Amino acid sequence: MKIKAIIVLVAVVMVSAFAKAQKTMDTFEVQVDGLGCPFCAYGLEKKFKEFKGIKKVAIDIETGDFSFQYPSEKNLTMQAVVKQVEKAGYTPITSKITRADGTIEANEANTTELSAESVVVTQQVLVAGKCGMCEARIINAAGSIPGVTAAAWKQDQQMMKVTYDKSQVTLDGIQSEIARIGHDTKAHKATDEAYADLPGCCKYERLDQ
Amino acid sequence: MKQYIIILLTAMLIASCQEKKQTETRWVHTKTIALADVNPIGIAQGEKGIWLSDGDRNRVVLIDKSGVVLNTIVSLDRPMHIASEGEMLVIPQYGNDEVLRFRESEKEIVRTRDSLDAPAGVAIKGVEVAIADFYNNKVHYTENSSDWITFGKEGKADGDFYYPTDVHLTESNIWVADAYNNRLQVFDKKGNHLKTIGEDQKMNAATGIFVSDTNAYTTDFENDRVLVFDLEGSLKQVLDADISKPTDLIIIDEVLYVTNYKGKSLSLYTQQEVEISSQEGHDTHNDHHDHEDHKD
Repeated sequence: MKIKAIIVLVAVVMVSAFAKAQKTMDTFEVQVDGLGCPFCAYGLEKKFKEFKGIKKVAIDIETGDFSFQYPSEKNLTMQAVVKQVEKAGYTPITSKITRADGTIEANEANTTELSAESVVVTQQVLVAGKCGMCEARIINAAGSIPGVTAAAWKQDQQMMKVTYDKSQVTLDGIQSEIARIGHDTKAHKATDEAYADLPGCCKYERLDQ
Repeated sequence: MKQYIIILLTAMLIASCQEKKQTETRWVHTKTIALADVNPIGIAQGEKGIWLSDGDRNRVVLIDKSGVVLNTIVSLDRPMHIASEGEMLVIPQYGNDEVLRFRESEKEIVRTRDSLDAPAGVAIKGVEVAIADFYNNKVHYTENSSDWITFGKEGKADGDFYYPTDVHLTESNIWVADAYNNRLQVFDKKGNHLKTIGEDQKMNAATGIFVSDTNAYTTDFENDRVLVFDLEGSLKQVLDADISKPTDLIIIDEVLYVTNYKGKSLSLYTQQEVEISSQEGHDTHNDHHDHEDHKD
């Protein structure tokens, strides 16, 4: 009887310790701007290995979804995560932290709010790019512009379809923002510096303007 | 008389319209081997089969020629472009910066002079070893397995690299897949730049390289192609039949094997005599029109 009680007690302590260990990990979920190849994906993973104590790193090359767990006592911030993603050469589209205590912190890309004065239109415009990473970057940049409600870009057509509120932003303004991140548009050409900063696989043929 | 002239002119017209046929030896897609749960990155010839690195699953597998897994080396950290010679298999581990040399069940770390940052490809030839050092934008080479030279830096000029992913050793030279400069580069064994190839082909990530006695082959990852150059750098053929995000390639027993990372498969090409038009004879040939007739 005494032995049984000891066994039960040890089991309860172990389960309790295990549960506590599980609860002390924060979960991070980040979507990055396209991980076209294994070299890119493994590179991102490699940069995050610099965070000692990182666990359960998972990367989906197709979707760009990247997740991991990290000890909550280290209180890793969203800012540090974004900085590390950028250090690896990528741009986070969305990021979410689920803390061990259940608190959720999230950065969502689009915060556009429409009003009674909104005039929503959809237009297409020429935007130069080359690959899936370009697509993610263009959509991310367009989607984060106040006034834009939806954006899509097709590599084979080199056209961006954008839905926006004319009372908040103009098509020219949208093109200017896209050019700022390195992609030539019909109305605005990216600077040579912004173009040079693009990853090697994104070096598209410049538009003649 | 007038009728004869019309007939003669018509005959001349028909003759001029007919294409002159000639034959040429070209790579033709013959077969695709599906791989169950392997996203192959690197490929090397083993004594008992074909070695494939499966970076997604941190392992290297030995398969037979029908794709059945015969052996597995596990607990690796993102193995990439592997190389082999006889019983020896060399594995660059992108994740932990180590290059491992396996011989049967024994393994040892390949010691380099300088530290590595994501070794992506390795080549061996006797005691010679070359390593593509991805994040350092360098190539390391030893002719005796102990004394190393290092060359390259980040950039776009001849001799510079922008994330090299693979290397190949020939008798005289070191060939490098300069992946994100979208080109191949050739160096002598002192590290002097000799030649740059493929810059005009609009490649998008030249990830893998193989060099035979007559040709240089590279995988054009994002464009789902393999480009075949002669050793001077002239494009000879473009292969795109049943290729999906290719990463590496090798010729074994006159068969060209292409690893399809995304396609989870190997595409096999063999050289065949194919009929070409006189016009095609002057152009670089694309295999696309041929492969359907030969596909298994």
